[in-house]
Amino acid sequence: MTYKTTNTSRRGFLKKASAGGAGSIALLAGMNQSAVAQSTDPIVIGAPLPMTGGAAADGIEFRRGLEMAVEEINGLGGILGRPLELVVEDTESKGDDVIGSAGRRLVDRSNASVLIAGYNLGSGAALPGVAADASVVYMHADTLVAHNELIRSDPETYYGSFQYDPAEIYYGVGYLKFMRDLIDSGQFTPANNKIAVITGPIAYSINIANAIRESASEYGFEVSLFESVQAPTSEWGPTMAKLREDPPSMIAITHFFPQDQAQFMLQFMNDPIDSLVYMQYGASLAAFRDIAGAASEGVLYATLIGALQDDIGQKFSTDYVARFGDNSSPNSGGQTYSALHAYAIAAALAGGAGAPYEEEQNRKVADRLRTMIYRSPMGSMRIDPETQSAYCYPAETDDPSLGMPHIFSQIKSQTETGPIISPAPYNVATFDLPSWFKS
Amino acid sequence: MTSLSTIQKHLIGALIMLGAMTIVPAFVTQRYFLGEIIVFMIWASVAVQWNVLMGHAGVFSLGQMLIFAVGAYSAAMSMTYLDISPWMALPLSAVVAAAAAFIIGLACLRLGPAYVALLTFAISYMVYVLIITDTACYTTVAGGCQRFFGGTTGFSRLEDLGFRQMLRDNWVVGNYFTVLVVFTISLVASILIIHGRLGLAFRALSDSPVYAAARGLNRTRSQLIAFVVTAFFTGLTGAVYAAHFRSAGPSLFDFSTLLFILAMVIVGGLRSTWGPVFGAAMMMILVEIAKGLGDVRNTIIGIVLVLFVVLLPKGIAGMTSRLFHRLQPKRIGVRTEDPATDRT
Repeated sequence: MTYKTTNTSRRGFLKKASAGGAGSIALLAGMNQSAVAQSTDPIVIGAPLPMTGGAAADGIEFRRGLEMAVEEINGLGGILGRPLELVVEDTESKGDDVIGSAGRRLVDRSNASVLIAGYNLGSGAALPGVAADASVVYMHADTLVAHNELIRSDPETYYGSFQYDPAEIYYGVGYLKFMRDLIDSGQFTPANNKIAVITGPIAYSINIANAIRESASEYGFEVSLFESVQAPTSEWGPTMAKLREDPPSMIAITHFFPQDQAQFMLQFMNDPIDSLVYMQYGASLAAFRDIAGAASEGVLYATLIGALQDDIGQKFSTDYVARFGDNSSPNSGGQTYSALHAYAIAAALAGGAGAPYEEEQNRKVADRLRTMIYRSPMGSMRIDPETQSAYCYPAETDDPSLGMPHIFSQIKSQTETGPIISPAPYNVATFDLPSWFKS
Repeated sequence: MTSLSTIQKHLIGALIMLGAMTIVPAFVTQRYFLGEIIVFMIWASVAVQWNVLMGHAGVFSLGQMLIFAVGAYSAAMSMTYLDISPWMALPLSAVVAAAAAFIIGLACLRLGPAYVALLTFAISYMVYVLIITDTACYTTVAGGCQRFFGGTTGFSRLEDLGFRQMLRDNWVVGNYFTVLVVFTISLVASILIIHGRLGLAFRALSDSPVYAAARGLNRTRSQLIAFVVTAFFTGLTGAVYAAHFRSAGPSLFDFSTLLFILAMVIVGGLRSTWGPVFGAAMMMILVEIAKGLGDVRNTIIGIVLVLFVVLLPKGIAGMTSRLFHRLQPKRIGVRTEDPATDRT
């Protein structure tokens, strides 16, 4: 896989993008104004979310994102005059049986027209099955390459399942490319070419860790430590001892639970080594900074779906924090928020939302989702028709308006979300060597 | 007129209940509810077997979900790696679960009840940790890393039972009857064990272990037989779970699931015959009601469990039995509560 470089005028691009985002909302409002209300029955938005268990912190944000989107869309007149109603079912951070049961309950008992989730644990195959059986659209951000293969294996059955962010496979090489660029541009001078890779037990983390290990040598790096930890974990002593015995210049933690990552940093800062710490996803959440405090400063993190810091992203983040409080995380809430807005526009374009088992109408909605481009606070949501996953910028396209950006951020202050330092044109800050470096 | 024996009465009861369940799909058309009844039958089957093991054989095993998982994983792994049909995987998985129980039983059953509980729980947790901490890719499935035991993701997209092609939109009815057959086998087997020779041996060992031993009964041997036999049916249920959900993963080892099944046995009535079925039904209904109440769900389930332990220690079955005996006309010199018939 190759990453493409860009030469984009940042100011000009962001200006046009802002206009595009406002245009999407205006489009829905315009269609609602000209529509004759089909019925006054609400359209049920079914949300199978992990409201309890290990992923509950994200589940709460996913619900908030949907609540905010429902309010906004209803304020615009709903979808062609029909208001939206949100129904949430708890998937309990459990496996496919509980996730599938939650999805079936939403469809059969609540009459949900669409299932929208952030991510759920489990294999990722349960809800596409439910959606296929009931002929409803299902949108998720599981960030799994398994989704792509599922769609490729049977596009006819899974026509309604969409992964509205790119698959996790882009994280591994994206990280290596980012580090190589940082070194080649002289922003970071490593003491050696060693990377310590620490993964958790979840497939998402393992796939990313394996991708780093497999491609490290292509980018001139050597994996000096490949460690697997349990989840959740708070005792990092044994891992820390290995790191201090043979200090690598780079530490990549692909285990993504924010509380575990925060504990790592707290224990790391007791006796820090000259290693640049990269953390997968979890560090993008407010919970990480809350727990790690000052130890969070200097940490790098990346996400394939995070709130951008341009006009659209900033406005969303400001509104979101004002609505849900300082401890809320627009990075998580923005996912479901964006998905529901995209669905609303697609359904309006298709002539209305389909009910469960109304295959013809739901196929029309799915067709619109597959072909439209929606500029969300997280970047451009454009679906690859072959995999029904969002395109990744810059891995799959060199045009930032045609892919969801793989953003790298660095926490500068424990009280603020880390500013984006890559890729252009979304970067708003530059990389700083963390304060724990002695040399 | 010849009166029916206890075992015949229970078998007729089972026949009536299962007969009623065969007509359920004619009235319950909503796929969600049929799905929930399937889940009820699966958990009821596990609870029934656990009741035989713990309530009657006196084996305080906390490895019931481990055995269930062995069945589910055996089915999933044989379908994934050996490419065999789910129908072949069902009996195979039951045999694997029974073999696993034999080995675990040999290691545990010579110990006292508390140590059996600790050791079976420890083995279960050890297996769980070994599965979820495995990060080495055994093969690549659907573009992703497939660990030998599935890791945290487990196994998914397993071959279905074939009803999707045969019955199209009504495939869940096919699955319903498949699970019903497994539940029937499990329930009938439990009745035959509880009220047959093995059940008699368990009662003798429970009433007076020394006297039973003097009469030639070997406690460890009897318990090992119970462990293996109940594992066979628990494993079969695990396999049908994997076939129905087309997946098997480490969430099967969740402590909360173990407690949920235990609650079914306690609420229904430990040491009874029908208690676990009533308990499973009641807990499923309770969960269904509590789902609409949001975060207080687990609290409500906990309160109900505490109330049953304190107020109705013999569960629903014990309460039904007491009511039944109270309603019967008392005859002087006739004992109305026979220990064998008390096992409702």
